[in-house]
Amino acid sequence: MNIFKSTVAAAALLSIAPLAQAQFAETKSLTMDGARRVIDAAVAAANNKKTTGVIAVVDNGGNLMALERIDGTFAAGANISIGKARTALLFQKPTKVFEDIVNKGRTAMVALDGFTPLQGGVPVSVDGQIVGAVGVSGAASAQQDEELAMAGAKAFESGPPPVSYFPKDQVKAAFAKGSVLFDHSDKYMVHASRREQSGMSEIHTKDADIVYVLDGIATLVTGGTAVNSKPIAADEFRGERIDGGETRLLSKGDVIIIPAGVPHWFKEVTNPFLYYVVKAR
Amino acid sequence: MKSFRTILYSALFVIAPAVRAELPVKKVMTLNVAKKIAAAAEAEANRRHLTAVIVVVDDGGYPLLLQRLDNTQVASVEVGIGKARTAAIFRRPSKDFEDQVKDGRIAALALPGATPLQGGVPIILDGKVIGAIGVSGESPKDDEDVAKAGAAAAAAAIAAEGGSRE
Repeated sequence: MNIFKSTVAAAALLSIAPLAQAQFAETKSLTMDGARRVIDAAVAAANNKKTTGVIAVVDNGGNLMALERIDGTFAAGANISIGKARTALLFQKPTKVFEDIVNKGRTAMVALDGFTPLQGGVPVSVDGQIVGAVGVSGAASAQQDEELAMAGAKAFESGPPPVSYFPKDQVKAAFAKGSVLFDHSDKYMVHASRREQSGMSEIHTKDADIVYVLDGIATLVTGGTAVNSKPIAADEFRGERIDGGETRLLSKGDVIIIPAGVPHWFKEVTNPFLYYVVKAR
Repeated sequence: MKSFRTILYSALFVIAPAVRAELPVKKVMTLNVAKKIAAAAEAEANRRHLTAVIVVVDDGGYPLLLQRLDNTQVASVEVGIGKARTAAIFRRPSKDFEDQVKDGRIAALALPGATPLQGGVPIILDGKVIGAIGVSGESPKDDEDVAKAGAAAAAAAIAAEGGSRE
């Protein structure tokens, strides 16, 4: 996914190309995908806090790129959020800075044109460069507007992702129906897998399956030739069965690792057959 | 997920049980439906290799969702919002006003809050305008077609959300 694009700002027109190089500055700006990522992060924060809000994202020129109004947010929030985002971008600072300045007595500052000195607007930076800004209005409080905007602005922050913890009740519930516990599909996934009957032959062209059997017994066929194997999604094939290959009986406590690209088939299982799977890329 | 929330037109100081049944209700577009409408319009714009701003507004003309596809001229943001608002608050395609002006009713330019340019199309549910889609980017005809593609997806999007509710 391309989240930035570089633009070359013209410093001198009609200049001869080789000479002109030093007269252009390259700047990065958010793309539509990048803007969506900012909005998704802010909306996730709003859902977490069970609040409403409008989230607006502007590019590095202060022009609106994307906006979403969560159900139940007051209509005026749309324009206010745009104003906050634009102010944060054009003045290259969180709008709270200006709200504080105005509140502390520099009232004349509100006379600035196109200026929304209300907290809730935050620049979005990548590698120390401002690439856009996000503005939020219509959360439960001005303070919360700011928090949601910060959450959006952090969408591109590098550094380690947060720790994921699944309490045992949640894990138990996941195995009760068989589900994906953790989905970070560009790197790894964790499945709480449950089988109640034999499956189709499977090939994952990118994911290796690392399996730990928790309960039940299964006949697993690996290798061989998958019959009638068809693509069902990106990098995923399913077929009727496997001819040939190696057959193993899996039971509680077993670990098996199936590398990406190797056909495999749960030919027979006891009901239920529970197994913990890490899918790694 | 609830597709429509019921809004009671506010009557203050009423005695709740006696009066509630007599208050009119209106249906409100949700963000989810707006996203599906915009996605349909975006698909049509991509199919035609167009740049565009796609806006979905509520029945008051205020934006619920906006997306500016990569490389779209920035002026289209305001124009797109204006077209959508026009279609919502005048409850008709913004093309009606463009046609009026073209046919000689120059006075239509004086309508407050109107952007008399094609590319704004109302979203209608049960005969009532619940919002509108506005598109601005390239040619007027393309804008109109992309907006219509979005509006055409509205009925299915609403049905998928569980239909209308009182």
